[in-house]
Amino acid sequence: MSSDLGKISDALTKGNVDELKEVVQQALDNDAVPADLLNKGLLPGMEAVGQKWKNGEMFMPEVLRCAKAMSGAMDILRPRLAKEDLGSAGKMVIGTVSGDLHDIGKDLAAMMFEGAGYEVVNIGIDQPNEKFVEAAKEHKPTLLGMSALLTTTMPRMGEVINSLKEAGIRDQMAVIIGGAPVTQEFAEEIGADIYAPNAGSAVDLAREYFESKA
Amino acid sequence: MKINQTINKSPQFRVLSEDQIEQIYFSALEVMERTGGVVYHEGALELFKNSDALVEGNRVRIPITMVEEALKSYPRKITLKGRNGKRSLFLEKDMVSFGTGSDLPFTLDMNTGERRNTTYKDVSDASKLVDALSNFDFHMSHGIVTDAPNPQTYDRHQFMAMLENCTKPMVVTSVDGEGLEDLWKMGCLIQGGEHEFRLNPMFVVYIEPISPLKNDSTAVEKLLFAAEKRIPAMYTPCPSSGATAPATIAGMLVQSLAETLLAIVMCHLKNPGMPLIMGGVTTLLDMRKSTYSYGAPELSLASAANTDISKWLNLIMFSTGGCTDAKILDEQAASEQMMNLFYSYLSGANLIHDVGYIDHGTTASLESLVLNQEMIGMVKQFGKGINTDDEHLALDLIEKQGPGGEYVTTDHTFKYWKEWFMPQLQDRSDYETWVKNGSKTMGQRLKERTQHLLDTYQPEPLDEKLRKELKKICEDADKRHM
Ligand code: B12
Repeated sequence: MSSDLGKISDALTKGNVDELKEVVQQALDNDAVPADLLNKGLLPGMEAVGQKWKNGEMFMPEVLRCAKAMSGAMDILRPRLAKEDLGSAGKMVIGTVSGDLHDIGKDLAAMMFEGAGYEVVNIGIDQPNEKFVEAAKEHKPTLLGMSALLTTTMPRMGEVINSLKEAGIRDQMAVIIGGAPVTQEFAEEIGADIYAPNAGSAVDLAREYFESKA
Repeated sequence: MKINQTINKSPQFRVLSEDQIEQIYFSALEVMERTGGVVYHEGALELFKNSDALVEGNRVRIPITMVEEALKSYPRKITLKGRNGKRSLFLEKDMVSFGTGSDLPFTLDMNTGERRNTTYKDVSDASKLVDALSNFDFHMSHGIVTDAPNPQTYDRHQFMAMLENCTKPMVVTSVDGEGLEDLWKMGCLIQGGEHEFRLNPMFVVYIEPISPLKNDSTAVEKLLFAAEKRIPAMYTPCPSSGATAPATIAGMLVQSLAETLLAIVMCHLKNPGMPLIMGGVTTLLDMRKSTYSYGAPELSLASAANTDISKWLNLIMFSTGGCTDAKILDEQAASEQMMNLFYSYLSGANLIHDVGYIDHGTTASLESLVLNQEMIGMVKQFGKGINTDDEHLALDLIEKQGPGGEYVTTDHTFKYWKEWFMPQLQDRSDYETWVKNGSKTMGQRLKERTQHLLDTYQPEPLDEKLRKELKKICEDADKRHM
């Protein structure tokens, strides 16, 4: 078992996508406890990656390769995990608001959350307000992420939050927003729960938020 | 008399050899046939379907013959005339001009030092400065009017703020095709009609594809409208190396050239001979901070190489310089702005934009414009090169003054020192004089100079009747979008 965990953390922190899938599958075939693979293998591995990223010892391409590996491993593991096992690593719906075509920032944020074990549904760019609400109803995320890079499209984020309220599902999820012209002030104004100035800090900010609510 | 002489009237600079340019061009042609691009616009897809291109869904692949045919039809020269009535901007090979960028959501407030949302007043102030500063040849809005009645019509109000305070030729941005139509109508009013605008365009419209290789409906709508009315336009890729383009500069240049070539063919299908300009903000995604960098040396290198390619293709080039990632106007700002200003100038790009941008393309600063006025002056001085005729070699003078002589009082000095660059804000005084004058930093001098210009400079006002007609177009747009 512990050698499995060693292999997992090794493949993960090196960002070896295929290798990680293999070792996770092998461990499962050898009757390892799925929750242990997550909590003692993958999550501590990503924790270490996150720490190195913060210390400036790892860079975006490396971190996102690890996140990609993590996401692949989670695809195998998730069906075998009970809801409680997932802990703070919940489900996220993320998209760029209507009229806005900027996608790379939103994608980086999505990958970071995948790296933290989230199941991420990326609904894409230029998504009408209704699409966010529909996706929220369908996927029941713990976290709803919105991106806007234009002052002209920022108001859509507040509208989506209002629509969530009208649909009576606002309090079932936390709302996190980002994008270059977005500010903490604006997030408070429209009643978003979390504002992340960059993708690198978003996962931590979400974790802090959920911990403060717990 | 000597033969076999080559005189460099100006310094010579290029990044790519002709063989390298061909490598990049032929690679881009390969992308056109093998990968193609996606186009989300029915009208454009129809144009491609009725041509030799292969259309599958939104995916368009284009045979090389179509590309090379289209490339022949673009003008090698465009001349712009601002509302001051001067044909002042001659866009032709190696003719360089400088101007601001557009649409910055934040402004670093000159008085409070705080970052806040950009307003109509900020765009007006920037426009006034650009009119006043001699080294700015064209004007983009610098900031974005966030206090317009409606975000869907902000472009008309923004253009109004620019027109009221600046008489120079412009590069405009628009919300969509309808917005562009209004701006064009405003432009035609100023120039005296559609034909007059075509002969003496007063602006170029800024449009962008989405890297990698994507063309959204709004951008294509604007591009096709520009083609139809023959409004000068640039279709300028903004790839970030390592994120929306390969992490190698060569790969990024291939991809962004392919993006340009697709537009070249599309516009040619719509209306051959429309004045399309090549562009590119070719930079990288910072891998520690995940920002799109406006200060990276790679921006300068890739942009200069892109200009080499544009010249080889006989296309006019819209490039980038005078911009920085620094949050305030500090040492980082000055060093980064100077570097990309310098190399974009040497490369011979025709329209160098984003001059004055700070905070990686999100924040406006008026003092930054004034700083760049000074830096462009320095850069242009370098561009003057070295005259080596007999007068300038000064052999007779050296003989006349002889060993141990002096030059300060000679006629030669009296005449030629005036060719030097004269700093307006840089301090070259001795220490004591500097202290006596208040020990001011460059930042303080910039602030004073900027305030002085804002207080005293009066742009030539718009004719009142014309102003009303222009205003009406803005108001009608607001009514339509109520
Ligand atoms: C590249 C770019 C484009 C590309 C986008 C390509 C792509 N595939 O995404 C293209 C060329 C398509 C483009 C188009 C336009 N753009 Co643009 N663009 C930019 C630019 C230069 C960089 C954006 C970027 O990629 N940054 C890098 C990424 C990684 O950063 P990011 O997106 O900010 O995301 C980070 C954080 O904000 C955060 N984050 C973002 N979203 C989210 C969401 C969540 C949930 C979380 C947690 C975090 C998070 O995490 C990310 C990583 O740290 C910015 C300037 C800038 N510096 O922001 C202008 C900018 C945003 N664009 C601007 C403009 C004006 C436009 C156009 C309107 C231009 C025009 N007139 O045609 C069009 C609009 C098209 C549309 N309808 O959306 C303006 C905005 C002005 C405004 N209105 O507020 C800017 C500020 C530049 C400028 N001054 O002109 N653009």
